[in-house]
Amino acid sequence: MSTSAVEHAPGHAQAGGTAARARALTKAYGSGETAVLALDSVDVDIARGRFTAVMGPSGSGKSTLMHCLAGLDTVSAGQVWLGDTEITGLKERELTRLRRDRIGFMFQSFNLIPTLNAVENITLPMDIAGQKPDQKWLDQVIDTLGLRDRLKHRPAQLSGGQQQRVACARALASRPELIFADEPTGNLDSRAGLEVLGFLREAVDDLGQTVVMVTHDPGAAAHSDLVLFLADGRIVDEMPEPTAEAVLERMRLFSGGQSQPQTPAPDGTPVTEATDEPTDED
Amino acid sequence: MLKATLRSFLAHKGRLLLSALAIVLSVAFVAGSLIFSDTVSRTFDRLFASTSADVTVGPREDFTSQVPSGEALTVPASLAQEVAGVDGVEEAHADASVQNITVVDDRNESVSPTSGAPTIATDWYLTDRSPVELTSGHAPEGDGEALLDADTADSKDVGIGDTLTVQAQPGSFEVKIVGIATFTTTNPGAALVFLDPKTAPTMLLGAPDRATSISVTAASGVTDEQLKARIASRIGTTDYELETAAEQAESAAEQLGGFLDVIKYVMLGFAGIAVLVGVFLIVNTFSMLIAQRTRELGLLRALGADRRQVRRSVLTEAVLLGLVGSTLGLAVGIGLAAGLIRLMSAFGMNLKSADMVVSWPTPVSAYAVGLGVTFVAAYLPARRAASVSPMAALSDAEIAGVGRPLRVRAVVGTIVGALGVAALAGCVTATETSTSASLLGLGVVLTLVATVIAGPLLVRPVIRVLGGAFPAIYGPVGLLSQRNALRNPRRTGATAAALMVGLALVGGMSVASASMTASFDQQIDKTLGADFVVQNDSFLPFPLEVAEKVRATDGVGLVVRQRFVPVAVRTPDGKRLQTTAAGYDPRLDDVAKVAYEQGDTAAALADGHLAMSADYAEDHGVRVGTVLPVEFPDGERTELTVGALTDQENAEGFGTQGGIYFGIAVAEKYVPGGQDSALYINAADGTSADRLRPALERTLEPYPQVKVRDQADYKELIRNQIAVLLYLVYALLGLAIVIAVLGVVNTLALSVVERTREIGLLRAIGLSRRQLRRMIRLESVVIAVFGAVLGLGLGLVWGVCIQRVLALQGMEVLAIPLNTIVAVVVGSAFVGIAAALLPALRASRMNVLAAISHE
Repeated sequence: MSTSAVEHAPGHAQAGGTAARARALTKAYGSGETAVLALDSVDVDIARGRFTAVMGPSGSGKSTLMHCLAGLDTVSAGQVWLGDTEITGLKERELTRLRRDRIGFMFQSFNLIPTLNAVENITLPMDIAGQKPDQKWLDQVIDTLGLRDRLKHRPAQLSGGQQQRVACARALASRPELIFADEPTGNLDSRAGLEVLGFLREAVDDLGQTVVMVTHDPGAAAHSDLVLFLADGRIVDEMPEPTAEAVLERMRLFSGGQSQPQTPAPDGTPVTEATDEPTDED
Repeated sequence: MLKATLRSFLAHKGRLLLSALAIVLSVAFVAGSLIFSDTVSRTFDRLFASTSADVTVGPREDFTSQVPSGEALTVPASLAQEVAGVDGVEEAHADASVQNITVVDDRNESVSPTSGAPTIATDWYLTDRSPVELTSGHAPEGDGEALLDADTADSKDVGIGDTLTVQAQPGSFEVKIVGIATFTTTNPGAALVFLDPKTAPTMLLGAPDRATSISVTAASGVTDEQLKARIASRIGTTDYELETAAEQAESAAEQLGGFLDVIKYVMLGFAGIAVLVGVFLIVNTFSMLIAQRTRELGLLRALGADRRQVRRSVLTEAVLLGLVGSTLGLAVGIGLAAGLIRLMSAFGMNLKSADMVVSWPTPVSAYAVGLGVTFVAAYLPARRAASVSPMAALSDAEIAGVGRPLRVRAVVGTIVGALGVAALAGCVTATETSTSASLLGLGVVLTLVATVIAGPLLVRPVIRVLGGAFPAIYGPVGLLSQRNALRNPRRTGATAAALMVGLALVGGMSVASASMTASFDQQIDKTLGADFVVQNDSFLPFPLEVAEKVRATDGVGLVVRQRFVPVAVRTPDGKRLQTTAAGYDPRLDDVAKVAYEQGDTAAALADGHLAMSADYAEDHGVRVGTVLPVEFPDGERTELTVGALTDQENAEGFGTQGGIYFGIAVAEKYVPGGQDSALYINAADGTSADRLRPALERTLEPYPQVKVRDQADYKELIRNQIAVLLYLVYALLGLAIVIAVLGVVNTLALSVVERTREIGLLRAIGLSRRQLRRMIRLESVVIAVFGAVLGLGLGLVWGVCIQRVLALQGMEVLAIPLNTIVAVVVGSAFVGIAAALLPALRASRMNVLAAISHE
């Protein structure tokens, strides 16, 4: 049984505090004259027990932000904490263990190991860690996601939506401190996409999980509690209690070659001027 | 299209490199063996052509035997004068040159070459054809002086003034070295002792008026052929054999050829294994490359390339690979030949590598093998590439071919397998050695083909079992590696097949050799009753005086001599049997356990009688009392009566077909120049064998070529003979494994590339590098062990069948070398680990993010 699972028992009681935070997080690709800044001194707090969406146009640095927060990528400067653990500066082996024990992942596609069936995929991170899954919790997750009758199926025998539900179950199964979802609906039709978003919402509301989702779909972002807008490697805005229309409206500001927001941020977050340095991310 | 082909060839050069290596190895062995044998035969052709007399007159030998009698056949020395009188003869010389001798230095050590090349004693007669010249000292005079060749003097540390003992058939004698003769031509590796021509016939042949041959020099203007015809008309050809220089060179080369052929066949065996295993590697590489490029090929097809163009494109790649591989192989082959020539020099055969002969068939066969193998191996994958539909470009299918049903393989594999099993069953039940052996060959080929075809079908059941414990032992890593090995049965099957072929051969050969050893052990237990056997290490005859000295040794009770005699017997059914018979002293029963169907030892060894194997006798209408005409090599004839029929299981082995033996008196009478081949010794009453042994060893000190052996030593001697065969098999195995490892590396490397995203995902959700490496290693191990299990299984079946064939030759014990089998299985697991090293390293070095977003 992982410590994180004990700390983060389901329910709203755990809400509050930060699940992860970053200070002056900078990620540059290349070096010297040709260096490209993907993240430019970003400060961010991910609230525990909330569903946070990260939005931005292609190349805005949203995936890089997620990768750095999840310990998948190294940072060029700044600090990142997961809970109270500073993960910047951790060794590869410690990062691997951190991902295994404290973070859940959902990717846009190719989320499952094709040789393993659904239930084997779901318990894989715990199996790798050599831990026994909490059967009660596992049953709850499986039933919530409606996977009970699909457990023995291989990924190839599942629809895209079902595959993402299995991935979602895997992310939830070890009750991680933080679940990162990278465009989880990107490859799905709208109905299956809605289903998956509904499950993520449920995971936060009913199971007390913390979810960070990277997306470029305003409809998807509308399911979150808070949307962070990224442009050119900086957080340029945020929107609590978003609706699809509001998000779409906000996003429109980025398009048409405009890289600078026309309205100041509604709260106190400093809105910095976007630089004209391009990013090669995505 | 050609441009696309070339691009693709270069793009995959890393992967093709491993296939090229397999081609290089097979071509290198083919080219190396051809160059080596060409070089050696050219060298010796020259040597013999330059050193042979224009015409040589020798004794007529009606037949020869595989088992030497120790006798040197002779002609009268006076024949030289007779021949000298023939018109056109400038000179005729009576030679005395023998090989049935041993030369020992003053420390009782043999000066014979360690390579097994002969030791020759000959008269010192210098002509312009002599291969040697006197480089120090003076020519030998009288019976106490001799010359030694420089190479032997060098390697055995003998100098002028040293004394050597020559153990010749008539008796041993001492000579002082008075000079050193140095080869002016290539030294074929023999040790040469030169004696005074006046005394040589007496010392070596036991009579002053005998010669081993007459060397004739033609007067100018007379050709060798003319001269040969003239001499033949003078002396006739009933008693003599005449050869021109060319013929002499040819037959000398032929004799040497036997030795060269062994090297050639061994090398070609290596080439064969390399080709066989290489084919699997190449088929697999091309299949994988094509599977990987399915979308690319689909795009080509969608853009309008027709099937033939796609197929040709793949085959062009194969031809390019073959060309590169053959060229490199040819170069490596030249190096290999140079190495072999050097090795020969180390054994005393001086070949100068500057004279290396690369005749036209060498490059032709090198390229034929290299290109042929690649082309044939790439043909099926090329056809498969051509059948890729244009739709493949659009679909996101993981890998083409994974899901294709294996039904055709199942059907063909079953049919071929059934035929193979039927052939093996026929082999086991056959009663004739020749039928049984040919059915064995057929069965071996068919079952091998069937296993290769059906291999992918066996992947699931066998690996389920082999990897069954993995999940329990290694958790999810074990589960993943087991599932990965099962993922593409074709690929796993083909990869394992390379290892399988090699191990099947080893399995079969080790069962056969273990069975042979066990059979001989049993045979020795059953038949050998003597306390000790005195024998030459290479089973050659030894001087008669050894028997006398052994008899005179304190504590020796009984000595029974064994002497081999080549004979030709005409049986009542009209068949002429050329074989080797043995002569024994009377009290054979005391040193050997012979089972008789009729008669007894006394009847068998009685004057004018012989014994024969009951089985052979029955087949050829021979009974007790039948009178058989018997011929001896120099033309002597007699009639012997069958006195006993023996019930010997092993009577027909080692060129002693018919199992004939008689009293030693027969041998002494008809082959007077023969020598003993073995002495069977019992201790005298009251003397323990343990005490007799040191005494015997002291007696035999001056005869380093023979040794005292008790039953255990004797078994060891036989075992060592069989072990030589086994070492060769192990060397072949080594080569097969090297190539098979290349195949496993190839497959794993490709799998790692194909599964990049999967690996990225596993790493993202927390699989450590070490666990990832273990996953790949376990997959590799399970593939290798799968190949080993299949190969050994097949090999065991073959081995049992080989043993049945051997049983017809009297080797009736079946022995399964369990230790070897366990070692091979464990070894194959290590092979798997070794093969996984690089692919696992590569996988664990992958960048997680790059892997996840890999297309």
